[in-house]
Amino acid sequence: MWKIAAGFLVFAGIALYMLSKGGDVDMSGNEHGSSTAEHAPAALAPASAPASASK
Amino acid sequence: MATAAAPRPMSEGEKMVIFASSLGTIFEWYDFYLFGVMSAIIAANFFSALDESTRNIFVLLAFAAGFAVRPFGALVFGRLGDMIGRKYTFLITILIMGLSTFLVAFLPTYKTAGIIAPIALIALRMFQGLALGGEYGGAATYVAEHAPHGRRGFYTSWIQTTATVGLMLALMVILGTRTYFGEKDFADWAWRIPYAMSGILLAISVWIRLKLNESPAFAKMKSEGKTSKAPLSESFGQWKNAKIVIFALLGLTAGQAVVWYGGQFYTLFFLQTFLRIDGPTANVLIAVSLILGTPFFVFFGAWSDKIGRKPIIMAGCLLAVLTYFPLFGALTTYGNPKLQQAIQKSPVTVVADAGSCNLILNLTGTAKFTTPCDLARVYLSNSGVNYDSVAQPGAVANVKVGDKSIASYDGAAPNAKDEKARFEKEVRAALNEAGYPAKADPIPVGSSNWLMLVLILTILVVYVTMVYGPVAAMLVEMFPTRIRYTSMSLPYHIGNGWFGGFLPAISFSIVAAQGNIYSGLWYPIIIAGMTFVIGMIMVKETKDVDIYAND
Repeated sequence: MWKIAAGFLVFAGIALYMLSKGGDVDMSGNEHGSSTAEHAPAALAPASAPASASK
Repeated sequence: MATAAAPRPMSEGEKMVIFASSLGTIFEWYDFYLFGVMSAIIAANFFSALDESTRNIFVLLAFAAGFAVRPFGALVFGRLGDMIGRKYTFLITILIMGLSTFLVAFLPTYKTAGIIAPIALIALRMFQGLALGGEYGGAATYVAEHAPHGRRGFYTSWIQTTATVGLMLALMVILGTRTYFGEKDFADWAWRIPYAMSGILLAISVWIRLKLNESPAFAKMKSEGKTSKAPLSESFGQWKNAKIVIFALLGLTAGQAVVWYGGQFYTLFFLQTFLRIDGPTANVLIAVSLILGTPFFVFFGAWSDKIGRKPIIMAGCLLAVLTYFPLFGALTTYGNPKLQQAIQKSPVTVVADAGSCNLILNLTGTAKFTTPCDLARVYLSNSGVNYDSVAQPGAVANVKVGDKSIASYDGAAPNAKDEKARFEKEVRAALNEAGYPAKADPIPVGSSNWLMLVLILTILVVYVTMVYGPVAAMLVEMFPTRIRYTSMSLPYHIGNGWFGGFLPAISFSIVAAQGNIYSGLWYPIIIAGMTFVIGMIMVKETKDVDIYAND
């Protein structure tokens, strides 16, 4: 059991490291619909939508 | 009635069964998530050159392939699994999933091959959806049928970790490839590499799964000639079993699915879209909570062997119903405190003639909205702005921020583009003046706000583990061996594919209609509440069921 725990921690550590360095990626998997539509942002359009609204 | 087995250590054979099943399922989730995480690149290479209506059809199909199609896979492969066996069926599902993913790596793009490219892509995505529909029921059934009585929850809980682990694996491979090759090469061609890697994962999974034996329960049934000749009609055509399938859906998997999506994906969406937290920060917060929460799948699966499946699953649903609003409110407090203050001090209202306001439901991202009222609300919702709707007959839709009023615009008018820019600029200026932040302040890792966010998010993930950890064992225990694969797969994939899959679109639609950024939570709350009531009344505890009693 401890081997699994250790393996998982290593795996998790690498994942976190990569996520923190990896910039923007759509972690939600956007499996619920594409965000290509312009006028009607799909439910999972992340922070890209209000890019025009940022200061 | 069998008594709980004294916990003996897992045999090597049993470890192999769990390992092989889980590994393959992780890879299936990896394949499935690749498509979603890289959807922008996929769209750019396959869909964006199409004319709009064709593009919309393909986007719709891609969405359908991932979600709507899963229950059909459940039917096809569930039936196969009950007729020819678990081992061969979930060898087939992993082959289909692995091959269709692997082949994406070699697809020509629209630029090279024209319309054939997106058609081929959608076909492959459909195969993925079908394969996934068959995989989970097979893996859960296979492991459960090897588990000693009294340990089924613990044994199957390992399968329950695979969706989360598969997602992390997909992210790591994608990020690693992107970092190594750089953005440009990744967008050009290196995006194919994570797909190609699937070939290696497939080879490993097939090799491992070929070493497995058929589940003893099925093998026994086959040797006695008692397998079902028509699992579909036995599962759903006979009311005695069909009603259990319905209760499994409404009293178990529907609620489980909305809590799963609520705690794993809706939180991410909420952090980014409503709280305006930047992508990388939000990703890390969610990832940390998933990592901290993942061991609880196994914990609750194991605990369900002692105290029952129902108490844990029902408690998870009830906790979601009772605490989602305060927990998400707390996310705002620690994630974007300025936003919370602005909402209290300078409320925003949309004033419009109710007749010009439509339902904002964008299930697949292809809906278009053109009335001033709709456009105003979509813009505000997407900008994470909390607002109230005020009906005023005859009014031209306008947005009021404090005492400033900004007229909306007609999306169908010839000057719509300019008007859109004007509207958004003016609204943004008014919001800024009223103290609404365009972005959340940075949240340094390890700061007290960051830690509180991790705590709240982890609690939400723990709810996920409560409803999901024991559910594989419970579904297995609800049905006899001869129709188990068929009967448990369908409610699982309707629950997770449909009730869960549509959660983001439905929740967003409610937010856009209501204006309140928390109102999207009503959907998971109502569904989880329904499951709690139906589950408590109609679904029986199953942990002490002898799963071979009706064979």
